[in-house]
Amino acid sequence: MTLVLLLLIPFLAALLVLICKQPQRAVRVAMTAGALEIAAIANAVWRIGFEGVLEFGRYLRADGLTAFFLLNIGVILALVLAYSIGYLRHIPAGRFSSPRWFYSLTFLFVFTMIAVFLSANLGMLWICVESTTLASALLVGFYNTKGAVEAGWKYLVVCTVGIAFALFGTIALYLAAVKSGVNPASALDWAALMSAAPSLGATSNLVKLSFVFVVVGYGTKIGFVPMHSWLPDAHAEAPTPISAMLSAVLLNCALYALLRFDTITSHAIGSGFSHSLLLIFGCLSVAVAALLMVVQRDLKRLLAYSSIEHMGIAAIGIGIGGPLGLFGALLHTFNHSVAKSLMFFTAGYVRENFGTLRMRRIHGMARTLPWTSAGLVVGSIAIAGLPPFGLFISEFMILTAAFSTSRYLIALLLMVALSVVFGALLHHFQRMLAGKRVDLPEKPKLLPTDFALMGVCMAILIVLGIHIPSAFAGILQRALVVLQ
Amino acid sequence: MGLIELAAAKALASSAVFLFITLLMMAAAKRISTCIVLFSIQSAIMAAEILGMAYAGKSVAAYAVAALVITVKVIAIPYALFRIVKDLKASQDVSSSTTGAQSVFIMAGLILLSFFAVAPYAITLRLDEDLLAAAVALLLAGAFLMVSRKKALMQVIGLLVLENGIFVAALTTTYGMPLVIEIGIFFDLLMGVFLMGLFVFRIRDTFEHLDVSKLRRLRG
Repeated sequence: MTLVLLLLIPFLAALLVLICKQPQRAVRVAMTAGALEIAAIANAVWRIGFEGVLEFGRYLRADGLTAFFLLNIGVILALVLAYSIGYLRHIPAGRFSSPRWFYSLTFLFVFTMIAVFLSANLGMLWICVESTTLASALLVGFYNTKGAVEAGWKYLVVCTVGIAFALFGTIALYLAAVKSGVNPASALDWAALMSAAPSLGATSNLVKLSFVFVVVGYGTKIGFVPMHSWLPDAHAEAPTPISAMLSAVLLNCALYALLRFDTITSHAIGSGFSHSLLLIFGCLSVAVAALLMVVQRDLKRLLAYSSIEHMGIAAIGIGIGGPLGLFGALLHTFNHSVAKSLMFFTAGYVRENFGTLRMRRIHGMARTLPWTSAGLVVGSIAIAGLPPFGLFISEFMILTAAFSTSRYLIALLLMVALSVVFGALLHHFQRMLAGKRVDLPEKPKLLPTDFALMGVCMAILIVLGIHIPSAFAGILQRALVVLQ
Repeated sequence: MGLIELAAAKALASSAVFLFITLLMMAAAKRISTCIVLFSIQSAIMAAEILGMAYAGKSVAAYAVAALVITVKVIAIPYALFRIVKDLKASQDVSSSTTGAQSVFIMAGLILLSFFAVAPYAITLRLDEDLLAAAVALLLAGAFLMVSRKKALMQVIGLLVLENGIFVAALTTTYGMPLVIEIGIFFDLLMGVFLMGLFVFRIRDTFEHLDVSKLRRLRG
């Protein structure tokens, strides 16, 4: 029942918000539903902590890994909803640009992402990942400008084709399972596949074929280079709360799907094959994204490329494997979510005040918008991976894992790329921050919620950078148990 | 052997050839509506194939899948696409970047390539080589249509052909996936086409053309 509630609340909220014609009431309904959903997520995570695995019927299942990603979506949902209150004051009135449509689509998007985490079946997992694309495509094209329509179309087509490849991979794994003697009716169920995984080794060619297609398919959605072309466009053109949601939850959602396949493949034919593929895509993403960050002109595109880079780092962590690499990778996805949300929120404030995201046209930010600048500085130190923030710890873990398994070349590449990223951020932001105070047209001041949510992001990053609380470490450990 | 068994066996045995013919005709087609009709015929061939399997295997689930294919892929999606073409009031030309002859030639090459690609798997897994090759050929053909045709609607059709390829692959290798999953995939497909249709209208309204090769504002 806990699991059904998780899906029911956002679904009903999406319908309910739609009937609220008054903007104020729509916002109130959305906030109430959001609070309920976060409570439901907390309850589910709590119960998974005690009972290990929750199941409902044949198709819903939640284990330690689910709990970790549910926590991720819970935190980001709370931040994004709080941010949207201030953000919506700037949405111009129009047919499709109304708060009720915005919230309705957002809750639908949340519904599909939670469904991804709760799927007990790899076929259903595919269906849910595909529906996340469908639910968010309209949000990417929300503003109906030329750029937004183009980004939405590109996102829809590129991701649907990519995901089609993942379906092909899923079918190949299904075939391998059926040929190895698993009952066809349950040959896509996670539990059945995991218990049958050792015997899948007999059809190792098919398992390999399946993983290649799955890594290309779900990799498109994660934003691995060279399938990343949709990602910067979608992140830059979407409304800012959705950019944060795409970067902080959707990419992790696709990574979650890939993790499930990686685990089965590793159990079936050893981890060598799948982990090498992940290392190749991870290194490629980190290197290319780091270089492209240097030449970006738009703040949100810069942040989008940074997301590609961080997903690459997480893929490298998974590819190196072992308890340390995996722990680092999972921790990194969470840290990245929080830091990137903070960055997108400040980017939103910059857009509202300066009226542009072109970094060349922004000067004197530190004197004009001191609080926003503080958020931007803290966020960029965090995503550059410097102490005392959480990303330093997780990147350090992944580097340590690389050195301890004597993958010196990868460690070297990672360190060089991180330096390039740091240089790029410094290069872009010092120009924006420095300079005389600029006279801007009067805009509404930051709301108390805006200060609160920037503070919460920073607090989480600092706490995770100094000492990982034992409750959180417990959730991470239980997620690792599923993967090993 | 009774007449119906014979018909079922024939449908299964020759469906790959019919699928190849639809692909070659699609490559030669100059108008979007021709491609939609061909897609509908292609789906009908798949439906016949599933009916043959359902009859041979006495499987109720397979009959349900066949009914789904007929309602969604043979009727609903082509109908929706025709409506879009009519409402758009734009030119029907597919605007290919290759000439008709080149397209047919490339398509034939892709079909040959897919036979080479599946040969090792077909032997070790004891599967029907023709149908497996047809599945891969549909996949490649869909991708080819998407990159060579410039009209937004042709990209939707390319995607649908690609999806048909995956469907045929599932059919020949595992006799289809569990029914619930199939229904979910069909629902997603339907929603996807609906959304793409919505975006096609938006592209027309904001850009005043439908040529996706001219969508190049976002670069780098």
